Amino acid sequence: MMIQIENLYRTFHHGGNEVPVLKDINLNIKKGECVVLTGVSGSGKTTLLSLIAGLDKPSSGKVLIEGEPISKLPDLFASELRAKKIGMIFQHFNLFEHLTVNENVTVPLIPSGLKMKEIQTKVDAALNLANIRHKKETQAGRLSGGEKQRTAIARALVADPNIILCDEPTANLDRDNSLLFIEIVKELHSLGKTIVIATHDPLFDNLDFNSTIIPMLDGKIVEEFNDE
Amino acid sequence: MMNEVFLSNQVIVFLLSESTLFSLLFIAFVVSFKILLKWDFESFTPYQFTLERQAYLVSTIIYFVFIMKFILIVYFIFTIDVLSLLVPGAMCAAGVITANDYGSYLLILKLTILFFLTLWFYVHYYDMRTKNHLWFKQKSLLFSSIFLMILLELILDFSYFSHIDTQIPVNCCSTLFGQLEGANPLPFGLSINMLLILFYLLYALMILTIKSSQTLLYIIANILFVYIAYYAVVYFFGTYVYQLPTHKCPFCMMQAEYFYIGYVLWGSLFLATYMGISNALTTLLMGKNHTRSQINVAYLLSLFVLLCTAYVAVYYIKNGVLL
Amino acid sequence: MNSNAFWHFLTLQLIKERSKHLSVIFISMMILFLLSSVLFISSSIRFSLEETLKVQPDFVVSRIQGGTAVPTPVKWSDELLDIYGVSQVTPRVYGRYFFEPKRKSFLLVGVDFMEEQSHQKLQTLIDKTDIKAFFEGKQMLVGQGVKDYLETHFYKDAYNFLTPEGKFEKVTIFNTLPSQTNLISNEMIVLPIDLARKILGYTEDEVSDIIFNVPNTDEWDMMTDKLSALHYDIHVVNKKEVEKSYANLYNYKGGVFLILFLILLFTFALILYQRYSMVYSTERRHIGLLRALGWSINAVLRFKFTETIVVVSVSYILGVLFAYLYVFVLGAPLLSQIFLGGDNLTNDVHFVPVLDFSVLSSIFLIYALPFIASVLIPVWKVSVTDPKEAML
Repeated sequence: MMIQIENLYRTFHHGGNEVPVLKDINLNIKKGECVVLTGVSGSGKTTLLSLIAGLDKPSSGKVLIEGEPISKLPDLFASELRAKKIGMIFQHFNLFEHLTVNENVTVPLIPSGLKMKEIQTKVDAALNLANIRHKKETQAGRLSGGEKQRTAIARALVADPNIILCDEPTANLDRDNSLLFIEIVKELHSLGKTIVIATHDPLFDNLDFNSTIIPMLDGKIVEEFNDE
Repeated sequence: MMNEVFLSNQVIVFLLSESTLFSLLFIAFVVSFKILLKWDFESFTPYQFTLERQAYLVSTIIYFVFIMKFILIVYFIFTIDVLSLLVPGAMCAAGVITANDYGSYLLILKLTILFFLTLWFYVHYYDMRTKNHLWFKQKSLLFSSIFLMILLELILDFSYFSHIDTQIPVNCCSTLFGQLEGANPLPFGLSINMLLILFYLLYALMILTIKSSQTLLYIIANILFVYIAYYAVVYFFGTYVYQLPTHKCPFCMMQAEYFYIGYVLWGSLFLATYMGISNALTTLLMGKNHTRSQINVAYLLSLFVLLCTAYVAVYYIKNGVLL
Repeated sequence: MNSNAFWHFLTLQLIKERSKHLSVIFISMMILFLLSSVLFISSSIRFSLEETLKVQPDFVVSRIQGGTAVPTPVKWSDELLDIYGVSQVTPRVYGRYFFEPKRKSFLLVGVDFMEEQSHQKLQTLIDKTDIKAFFEGKQMLVGQGVKDYLETHFYKDAYNFLTPEGKFEKVTIFNTLPSQTNLISNEMIVLPIDLARKILGYTEDEVSDIIFNVPNTDEWDMMTDKLSALHYDIHVVNKKEVEKSYANLYNYKGGVFLILFLILLFTFALILYQRYSMVYSTERRHIGLLRALGWSINAVLRFKFTETIVVVSVSYILGVLFAYLYVFVLGAPLLSQIFLGGDNLTNDVHFVPVLDFSVLSSIFLIYALPFIASVLIPVWKVSVTDPKEAML
């Protein structure tokens, strides 16, 4: 099992009030599976994603990545996990606008201790996979929405992680670029990556490759069914 | 007059630096104390997460203080060497250090603090690499002890400098370290030859045991070695640095005319000791070992021994006789 | 952390946030410039004084009456010569000559040009002077400050000294003293000893004081005791005491300055703390992003502190460099007068470049340590930004 979630709760505290965002989530995601978390804004999909990525800590419950509980890992281990096993694609791309495409994709590998040459090899491979190599030296601030998305994908793939997490990946893309994105996901799926996508884009309801739709409502998983 | 000492540039800079470091460390101590009381790593509360973040503040401060303390002890020696101009009778730091009762204790305390800071670092290094901060409490208690030592150090710093009387002459190193009335200054009633044999034997023993499981033996050998090495340098090797059989002083070799070699000599000895014993202790008590450290210790010890030997060898080659 | 990639990223980030860093560097540079200039001037003066002191006699003996210096009997020289261990006994005649009552003064120094001087520089000066030409009339050697002052008062080639007897002595300017000795010689006039006696009102068997050397430094303390026993009104000063009093004077001036400087430094520290605490949301998001991409807190801390150290180092190098140029190339206009008193004659002195470890390390410690200490907490605070900030 790649990702295991057991009795997961996440409650936020706002000015004395407790706001439960996730309630008793139980979920198992196999290796190589593609899972799509669907639901309206506020259903808790982004929060769930950030807990899987180790970006946030739960109020109670467990998240296990490859059998390893990640929620109470000290930072040194948690960050290593994020660096090596998880690639994250953010809703607003979150690129460093003043850096070039190449430099942006290099960022996750800087603390790795690898030599510059090795880093560049990995970066080139990721740029190729995301089909953005031709824009290598362009400043990220000057890219189109689709190009930024592909740069973000390259950055997520540069460390060759097993898990790819996408938060509303097509929210800022037009239809053509959204379809392009789905093609890339399909390719990643064929490479055996475990993919979790949080989205309310209906384009993901009918993917032409094996995927699991998991609807969420009000912080809970509604039901689970396979898309044949 | 106390004023003359307090108004010298180096003393002002030194005391300001020590006070600044102490202020930071005080903040770290308060935070660390609070963390120690409420720490519960298994808990998922926002408060625990805050404590974990604050633990980084404590370690950052200690890291900064650690680096600065090493720099400041060099600056301290340098300052008191400069003060020898103001203190009558002092020709080097030796006279100034013994200008009052606080000096020697202060120097020993500083050297001890550096050791414990090194030890803290080793414990911290291993603690950070456990999945549940296994040695967090021990680390915090160690830091609390260090803090108290540094508090004492600050008090001694001010006491020492404020009690240096520039009117009363002090003894210079020839009086302090000279062999008066035929009395043997060496420990255990050893002769110079026996001292040197012990010096090299202990060095060999340390090199042999550094990577072995004989950690306790290594620790004992190292402590003994520092003790013997001190006498060996002052009463034998030092005379070759000064090229004068009657010049016996651990401080003069840190002056410009000897190319500041004292800093390299004592620096390599103490650094090797700090790292060596810290590594051995963590191996003994925590079952953890750091190979890179051991290699560095071996290099530093060898540098020290080689340097000492080189001075004698060069003198012998040049002059055909020993002193 | 891999060096090249890390430094490349660091440089790019520094350039991006250059407005913040440049303002800090600028203020730091100003502070360092001020501090370094003062310390450079102070250490240069001390160096020059030490150099001068090296050639001074070991002992100076004079006569005091009621606490003030009075003419010393020249026959004391013979008594000194009898003491074992004493060498190069030389009586001296010198004193202050006031140009006009309560106005500027010159330091008149009488020299016996035929005798060997115990003062090396004086000896060199005499060797260079054409003694024969010098003794062709009543002539003097003057310091630069004296020459300039006389010229502005329309005395171009000579000056009429008024002796205590009410007579005038016209003395011609033979030459100027070398400018490198301006620190000491600026207001000095060197005359033949008998002429000096006349102008200063000494009789034939009087001198201002008697100098001599004692080569064996171990004997100095004993020498003072011996001499004090010779006469009840004898006053003995040795070189080490002079050295110490100079050291104290400069320590005092430097120390007072440094303490005042600390107030400035404290204010600067507060400003720094404030400035670094002003973390804009962009910076927080960037740090959150780095954390989300797998940077550990340690990695972020290392990054932020390297940033700080770069700022500190750049400020230090620039501040010290500008101070060096200001003091040792431009001669520190304005600031030099604070140290040189400037109450008598104006001194056009060139500072000898003295760059030693003590000064440079003191400057670095007094600046870098408080700087890093002030920004440590704000930098930590931003470095532990939650990675979920990247999701916002």
